[in-house]
Amino acid sequence: MAEKSLDCLGEACPIPLVKAQKEMERMAVNDVLIVNVDHSCAMKNLPDWARSAGHAVEIEEVGEGEWDIIIQKLK
Amino acid sequence: MSEISVTGKIARSGATRRETPEERQRKATIQISAGVLLIAAIVAVAFYSQGANPKGAYIWIIGIGLGYVLQRSRFCFTASLRDPILTGSTTLTKAVIIALALSSVAYAALQIKATGMNLETLEVAKLPGWIRDVGIHTVIGGFLFGIGAVLAGGCASGTLMRMGEGFAQQWLSFVFFVVGSVIGSVLLPLMQAAGLYRKGAVYLPQFFGGWVPALIVQFALLATLYVLADWYGKKKSGEL
Amino acid sequence: MDEKKNYPFHELYLKREWSYTTGAVLLTLLAIALVIVTGKAWGVTGSFGMWGGWFLNLFGANVDAWDGFKGTPVSTYNFWMDNTAITDLGIVIGAFLAVLLAAQFKIKKIKNGRQVVAAVIGGLLMGIGARLSLGCNIGALFSGLPAFSLHGWVFFVCIFIGAAVGSQFLKKYFI
Repeated sequence: MAEKSLDCLGEACPIPLVKAQKEMERMAVNDVLIVNVDHSCAMKNLPDWARSAGHAVEIEEVGEGEWDIIIQKLK
Repeated sequence: MSEISVTGKIARSGATRRETPEERQRKATIQISAGVLLIAAIVAVAFYSQGANPKGAYIWIIGIGLGYVLQRSRFCFTASLRDPILTGSTTLTKAVIIALALSSVAYAALQIKATGMNLETLEVAKLPGWIRDVGIHTVIGGFLFGIGAVLAGGCASGTLMRMGEGFAQQWLSFVFFVVGSVIGSVLLPLMQAAGLYRKGAVYLPQFFGGWVPALIVQFALLATLYVLADWYGKKKSGEL
Repeated sequence: MDEKKNYPFHELYLKREWSYTTGAVLLTLLAIALVIVTGKAWGVTGSFGMWGGWFLNLFGANVDAWDGFKGTPVSTYNFWMDNTAITDLGIVIGAFLAVLLAAQFKIKKIKNGRQVVAAVIGGLLMGIGARLSLGCNIGALFSGLPAFSLHGWVFFVCIFIGAAVGSQFLKKYFI
């Protein structure tokens, strides 16, 4: 099970989402992707997308206005 | 809907950066205190604006409310147009259509109240809402605006909202938004001279010869769009 | 997790994001309140051109004489008499208030040249587009389409096509 971090600090929508989508395509089932974002919209649309795509998602606030979106590829 | 939740179910080795809970709490206290001070400043500005404009305080507070709601709900017109294409998500698109439908109900009531049912002699420019010239200039303008909003990561309201959130990129795009507005203002008369901007607004109740057909067309179109967006979103996420 | 236990009130009422539908309903109510109070609908970009003209005027450009500014002289421009300008400032400060109360304020610096290019091109295109179509996503779409104006519908279709094209550019050159 691999783990990968993606630094998307300072990136505006939809770049974190597109980057995460690209990354997920390359990953194997059960791999974990951690996307570090500070865009308040990305912390909503990234998890929304990941859930609708059928992945497991957790959000952790790691600082003021800064989040880790943890996505586990399930299929 | 997303929620802030860490259940620890996903095993992982590293976090990006961790501050101690004490540090986090101290910083949060500073920010919330600053927020309370800002409320005081907002009230002060309300009093000031009331002196400068008879309706200033009302407008100011509604503006504050708009910014607050836009931020809290992460409402973004750009994303509502872009996400169906980029990610297949139509949640925001549906929310925008709901807003448009609700507003249509309100505007219909306000406009009927303003004009009675008389559609013959009214001046559309004086009606509640913006009823403006439509033509090739609308097509060109809307197209350019759509490209710009996606590139800059925010439309007009979104850019202002993100300026308040502390995005340097949006402050920069705002400066060029203003520059572009001046260019556009100069360009419009030139387009008029070239025959690309013809004055003339089309007000649907007048165009369709009555409120009933106009309302039917308006809500039938909005309902169709809503169903289409819902169906497309479900199909893209594999629910259908 | 700790925070959830320590600050349930803050978490629930000042921090957790609202649903898009909640946003849609509240925005509509506020926009309609604005129409009832002022008699005029919500707009955003109408003032941007005025601010630009006012700024040029400071440096001696006789903007009032330009074709595009006839009827709206910038030399006598008064910020607090401009409803749109007041709500614009309100949106910036209101959003600032929301992030402060949520303890989520952070200054996000520009990270790379790509963001600069995107902001410059995007801002210019939006400014030009808004003036040509006589309104932005608010003035033409949110306050035009529901007001039964055809220009709102035309703008809606065209901004959608523009956004589709913009998305392709973004994917190709800005990722």
